[in-house]
Amino acid sequence: MNRYIIEMDGITVIKAKNILLEGIDLYFSEGEFAGIIGPNGAGKTTLLNVIAGFERFKGRLSLFGQNQTRHRNINTMTRIGYVPQTLEVDRAFPIMAMEVVLTGCLGRTGLFHLPGKKEKARAEEIMDMLRIKDMAKKPFGRLSGGEQQKVILARAIIQEPHILLLDEPASNLDMAVQKEFMDLISDIHKKQGITILLVTHDFNLLPASMTRAILLKKGKIIFDGDIKTATSGEVLSRLFQYNLETFERNGKRFVSYD
Amino acid sequence: MIDIIFDSLTYLPVQRAVLASILCGIGCSVLSVFVVLMKMPLIGVSMSHAAFAGAVLGMILGVNPFISGLIMCMAAAALLGPLSDRTDMVPENILGIMFSFLMGIAFLGMGIITRTKADALNLMWGNMLTLTETDMWILLSATSSTILFILLFFKEIRLILFNRRLARSSGIPEKPIYYTLLFLTGVVVSSNLTTVGGLLIFALLVQPGATALQLTYNLKLFFIIAIASGVSSSISGLILSYVFDVPAGASIVIMATVIFTLSYIFSPKRRR
Repeated sequence: MNRYIIEMDGITVIKAKNILLEGIDLYFSEGEFAGIIGPNGAGKTTLLNVIAGFERFKGRLSLFGQNQTRHRNINTMTRIGYVPQTLEVDRAFPIMAMEVVLTGCLGRTGLFHLPGKKEKARAEEIMDMLRIKDMAKKPFGRLSGGEQQKVILARAIIQEPHILLLDEPASNLDMAVQKEFMDLISDIHKKQGITILLVTHDFNLLPASMTRAILLKKGKIIFDGDIKTATSGEVLSRLFQYNLETFERNGKRFVSYD
Repeated sequence: MIDIIFDSLTYLPVQRAVLASILCGIGCSVLSVFVVLMKMPLIGVSMSHAAFAGAVLGMILGVNPFISGLIMCMAAAALLGPLSDRTDMVPENILGIMFSFLMGIAFLGMGIITRTKADALNLMWGNMLTLTETDMWILLSATSSTILFILLFFKEIRLILFNRRLARSSGIPEKPIYYTLLFLTGVVVSSNLTTVGGLLIFALLVQPGATALQLTYNLKLFFIIAIASGVSSSISGLILSYVFDVPAGASIVIMATVIFTLSYIFSPKRRR
């Protein structure tokens, strides 16, 4: 039997009379690494928010084989990791990087239980893997944008999610850090086999290991298939309504203006 | 001068005033951490005005001002909470309209009151020396339940203050905890109408947290600094009011501002 980890049938989101998503049917198998791609206002983030439980929707959504509404039980929530675009955090906010990472354990450890030695060791391990171990005792608000995003990613990983949702996680980072961040995500996918959904508007950021691309435009799916076809000039120009050219280098496809 | 202060401590109203200013300092300081870190000082303003308006209406209707103030606060919280969840509206505008509306209600009420207006004016500025035993019990329960709540849910509250969305995605009961914090704000504000009053309490809902923000990155220490700063403002304010015979609420707020200014000037965070 083919079990899907995420099933969406006719998902529609309407806010203040604007149709943000319209009749979305999507199925994701366990371990898929999919990109949700489209121009600004296409409904990418809304789609992710529906899965994360941040958005009201019509239609059927099933996660881990159970139908869901916007309100989730703790068990479902802890199995979904979430990394937003950027956090607007006051530079002076009293929290250390390590403490931010450990907040990922709160759902599992439950109320009235403090994260113990095991969780702290795991946090250190993950921070080491993401090369932010030295930041552990630094205030979160004083880290660079890239370091902050890695801390938030570490926080999602320690949650041991089955689904990882990434909402333009690298769009505010500089190019070198973007590349490093995306490589880390590919690595996590390879090692842990988590189902990953990555929202982006930047094709050049898509990791080569991504298995599937879903192109959204004005709340509808206009393409769902492999990356290679998705990044053909014809499909892309249709998506952005702008003549785009693609070229290949070292087995990876890049997009450029005409 | 020291003698005068120590002599006065033998009188019951003065003893009550001292205890009340400590409780007021603690309760407001703890909430100020929440108001400052969530960047919602306007919620603090609206809550204190709601409490004030509710209390004035309570006086007209013959209800205990704490109860009517609390009810009005809850109504305000029920409106403000969901509003701050929405992204399609600028909450500042609604808050601005709401708090001036509440002020209007309060002044309307004061116009209607036919008997002496002194009691109503006390709700505005507070009066530390006329506190009753009931006032003291209300203040004590409000402050201790707030402290207890923060101690029990410290790590969850830290995450909610940091980012509500991440809190929800962590699988913690973000909404119940957030709304309890709003509720406790209402309770503490209403219980302090008798001490520093509905107009001036707002200063104590911001200053201690803002002071701590200048000084530490450790949230536990943050709470401790906020409480220390809130309690020292209220005690020093009380002493000043006694010595110079001025209203306690006013001198407390002035001391709070002085302490904040000092912390800002000597902030180690700012110099880095």
